[in-house]
Order: sequence, then structure tokens, then C-alpha cells
Amino acid sequence: MLTAVLPVGLGRTAAAQVATVITSGNPAAMTISTAVAGSQPTNVSNSATTYSTLNLQGGQPQKITARLSANMPAGVTLTASLAVNASATSVGAVSLDVTARNVVININADQVARTITYQLSALASAGVIASQTRTVTFTISDYP
Amino acid sequence: MSSARLLKNLVLSLVGIAGASALAGAQTATQTVTFAVNAINQVSITGAPSLTITTAVAGSQPTSVTDASSIWAVTTNQTGAKVSANITTGGAMPAGLTLKVNLTTPGAPAVSNGQVTLGLAALDLVTGITKTAVGSLSATYQLDATAAAGVVTSSTRVVTYTLSGGT
Repeated sequence: MLTAVLPVGLGRTAAAQVATVITSGNPAAMTISTAVAGSQPTNVSNSATTYSTLNLQGGQPQKITARLSANMPAGVTLTASLAVNASATSVGAVSLDVTARNVVININADQVARTITYQLSALASAGVIASQTRTVTFTISDYP
Repeated sequence: MSSARLLKNLVLSLVGIAGASALAGAQTATQTVTFAVNAINQVSITGAPSLTITTAVAGSQPTSVTDASSIWAVTTNQTGAKVSANITTGGAMPAGLTLKVNLTTPGAPAVSNGQVTLGLAALDLVTGITKTAVGSLSATYQLDATAAAGVVTSSTRVVTYTLSGGT
């Protein structure tokens, strides 16, 4: 009976060390509604949500990628920029699409409640776009 | 199976599970982003044109003058928008005087109506403006007068431009 408890304990320890990323919720809807005459429509942004990483205790550096559930409409761009502390590197504003793209790299310690900034931009040629949604999936994994 | 063999298999099995978890490593979080782009129609014009008729060729009406110092700009994300203009302050032009304006097209499929005489009622200057953002377009005013208009002291008119009509 005692011998059966030991490996179960090892299993829990391994699981607890898996790096995890969490977000604080969904950003409010972003709507482009104005422009300066002669210029493309005015971008809008949202910096109201955050992300955190858990269980980074040294060792293998981690990275976070982001991808969309579907590409944005033609002429419309959604970028995400994830803030970091000194123990990681932000890639800066990254245009999101269905391909997983690095947004934070070389994470060596947990990031706590770091700001996610989304920016929505559109060309005049994109026309009027009715409300749509995209799921952004952040994935944390070994870096590089 | 002996107790020792059973224990060894159990340990290997659980270590295998832990290893798979570490390899699976990647873990995800999601957010839902909602977005939209509303109809946008913006027009602007800059400049303070000044026109004075001062001469004539003998036997002809006074010589018209033009001012091309103004520029206009437009942004629309709709189809078939148009720019119209009318005099909104200062009243109609004096008898015998005609004020016209000609806006350069922002590009196909938009079409400029060329010189359009300005009055109190709005008239279309450029039509068919579709999903574009263009600045630094010329706006040329022309002032015509007949001799019958006589001498007219300096006065001003405010011309208002409106972008509308897109779908």
C-alpha cells in the first residue's frame, strides 16, 4: 500500500510544475468609427485585460504564442502586445492570424497581471464590418 | 505476477504519465475579441481663398479670376458617397457675380462634376466616392462677373461641404 502512494506523489509534483498562462477575461468590444479626412480610419485599442504565468521556477525558459480562431477580414488588422517584466522579452505588437506567433519569449520567471494591449486597425477599403468575434488562444511552451 | 514485478510496472506506468504531461507541456488560455467597423464619412477643406476681379479686355466682360490655394481631403469606407456644397453664410451671390468651385476627383470610380456654381442649395461636386482615403486634392474657385454687376465691395461667403450618400 505504501509503495502505491509514492509514484502518485511524483505524478502530482510533475503536474504542478507545468507552466501555465491565464488571462483576466475578455476585452470590451472594439469599434472603429471615425477618421481624419484624407487618412485611414482611426485605430482603436484596448488595454483592459491582463495575463499571468504560473509555475515558472527557473530552468527551461518559456514562450507565449497567440493565434486567432479565424483570420481577420481583408483590410482589418488585430495586433496584440503583451507587457513583461525584466525576466522576459515582449515581441511587441504582433499582427494576429490563424498561425501561432510569438508574443512573449525567453520567460524566466512568472509574469503577474501584465497588460495585454489589443489594437484594431482598418483600411477604408475594408468597408463597413458588422460585429464579429475571434478567439485568441495564448499558448505557453518551452522556449525556444 | 509477484509483488515486486507489479510495483515496478506501476512505477513505470506512472512515470510514463508524468513524462507525457511534461512533453505535452504547452498549456493554453483564450480570450474572445469582438470588433466592428462602422460607416465612416469624413471630408475636410482648408484654405481661405480670396478672389478679386480687376480687369477686362475691352469689349468683353470682366476677366474671371481663380484661386487654387485650397485643398480638400476625404475618407469613406462606403460605396458611392458624394460631396456636395452650398453657401451657408453671407447669402446668395450679388447679382451678376458667380462663384464656382471645381474639386479634383479622389480617383476612380469617383467622378468630378467640374466647375459647379455655388448657391444656397447644395449641389453635387464629386460623386461615386468609394472606400478611399485621399488627401491633398485641389479645390479651385472661380469668380465671374458681368459688367452689369458694377463695383462690388469686399464680402465673404462661407461654403459648406458635405460628404454623404454612401451605402
